[in-house]
Amino acid sequence: MSLVNLAHARLSLTSIPNSNLHLKLCNALQNSGYISSVVRGGPTPPPAHPILGYPAANDEVEGIEPVTLDNVASRRLWLGLKYWRNESVLGKVKMVSKPTRRVTIDVEGLRRVVRGEDSGYVGGLRSPGESLFLSTDRGILEARECVEKKLGGLVLCRVL
Amino acid sequence: MSLTRPARCLFCSFSRTATPGTRVPRRQFHPTPAPLTNRKPKFPNVKSPENSTRSALKADDFKSYTEEEKAHLAKEYSAAQMEAIKAGEASIDPKDLSEQSIRRTDPYRFKYLDDFSVIEPGIDRNVRAPESNSDYNFKLKSEDQFIEDFGRFFAESNEDIKPADFVRFAESLRLTEGKEENELNPHSALVPDLFGPGETIDEPRVEERKSAAEKGEKERSLEAEELTDALKSLLLATGYTERQVRELRTKTLVSHSVVNQTRLGKVRRAYRLSVAGNGNGLLGIGEGKSEEAADAKIQSQYRAIRNMQPVPRYENRTIFGDVTGKVGAVELQLMHRPPGFGLRTQHLIYEMCRAAGIHDLAARVNRSRNKMNTVKAAYEALMSQRDPEEVARARGKKIVDVRKVYYAGKV
Repeated sequence: MSLVNLAHARLSLTSIPNSNLHLKLCNALQNSGYISSVVRGGPTPPPAHPILGYPAANDEVEGIEPVTLDNVASRRLWLGLKYWRNESVLGKVKMVSKPTRRVTIDVEGLRRVVRGEDSGYVGGLRSPGESLFLSTDRGILEARECVEKKLGGLVLCRVL
Repeated sequence: MSLTRPARCLFCSFSRTATPGTRVPRRQFHPTPAPLTNRKPKFPNVKSPENSTRSALKADDFKSYTEEEKAHLAKEYSAAQMEAIKAGEASIDPKDLSEQSIRRTDPYRFKYLDDFSVIEPGIDRNVRAPESNSDYNFKLKSEDQFIEDFGRFFAESNEDIKPADFVRFAESLRLTEGKEENELNPHSALVPDLFGPGETIDEPRVEERKSAAEKGEKERSLEAEELTDALKSLLLATGYTERQVRELRTKTLVSHSVVNQTRLGKVRRAYRLSVAGNGNGLLGIGEGKSEEAADAKIQSQYRAIRNMQPVPRYENRTIFGDVTGKVGAVELQLMHRPPGFGLRTQHLIYEMCRAAGIHDLAARVNRSRNKMNTVKAAYEALMSQRDPEEVARARGKKIVDVRKVYYAGKV
């Protein structure tokens, strides 16, 4: 993920190619508090929210340009990165499943992972603030949410 | 059963133990023989009347005073006292005395005469000032109050103030506000001294003690002179006392010699790397180089003490999460472990954890295992722990320590 390098570069706003997977994963990251905002915009950054200071998806003043057949190819996801105490909140993102090797996990294995034990190819969550994102049939969720909802799925990435 | 049994057992068959069937009164549920009913005791029983501590005194042993004895007593006592003695003699029956007066003859009797009616301080019980003497809200008098006291003394006293009066005033002057007993006779949990101030069993001891005290003072003054400049500056920089510095855990972990190549030749120096900690969350490492090995060691230890920094510890026993450190080619991982796991690490990291007061930890050192870099990498790893509180605030999420919740905060 290039997001880590962007965080090292101290960027506050960046863009990634628009895709449904990216959008869902970024929303999951935002829900977990790793990034501040996810906005689908054009090739230029969308205008900042007057109060928040970064573009917001629910900005009523500026409004969001609707996605049409004409402009869908030029859409990008604009992400607001977060920093706390001079350090990036998004420390390290590592892919678990690769196009060449998909890693899936069931609820039993996920329970072990959440408790800090290893399960198959997936290592345990053993550090404070570490999380694992899975693609399930109810969307992209964090590992602990999956355990709560008794869902297994494809392991996407590990975020520290 | 073997046929070659010793002859003893043959004779045993005639003794009582050989016929258990008759003497077992009830069914046996185990192979241990039942206690023998008419067994003779191993030791003779001692009955209480035989062991009586009472002396065999008879009523005849208590005789009234003869005229001669009375004459002797009259020399010592007044007439009224003699009357009282006579009345006392008449009132007590010798029969009662013989029955009730006890003179012990057992080996545990007291070797001295005492009726134990008085509590001897120091022997029976420590006599302390009552706890109610303490006043926790006492205050030292301010300067103005002292001036007031002095003013009152001069105003109330007559024209001619003798030095003795002033001494008396100064001695009775109170330095604190609050309960008077708190200042004069405060309560203390400490055991009081057996002797009062200046009170001793005999004289030479006082002198011995004095000389010992003088010796101690001399030694202390010598020690003070022996404080090196390096130690003095360390004490100044850290604010610790010499004793606190001595109580810190320091350990020299790496020692080898280093060489500086100059055009004049090789200059060898000793290198030492030490860790220092207080065993309760502070840890520092320091390096020292000197021509003398002892110098280098002291230098590294003092630097380690100066460099001491707090190490985050989870429940004061292990680390927050798994951390990694890398210095040079040394890459290591420190892993948190449950209570009672211990320090299952290599010796360098073990010593560091001991100094820092970490009790449960596992470590893995990959790639190179250079001693110096291992210590540095472990220090880096310990310092790179993420505080869960900070993580929670950075992400805007609530993080709860489940262990703390489960054990109701008692871990």
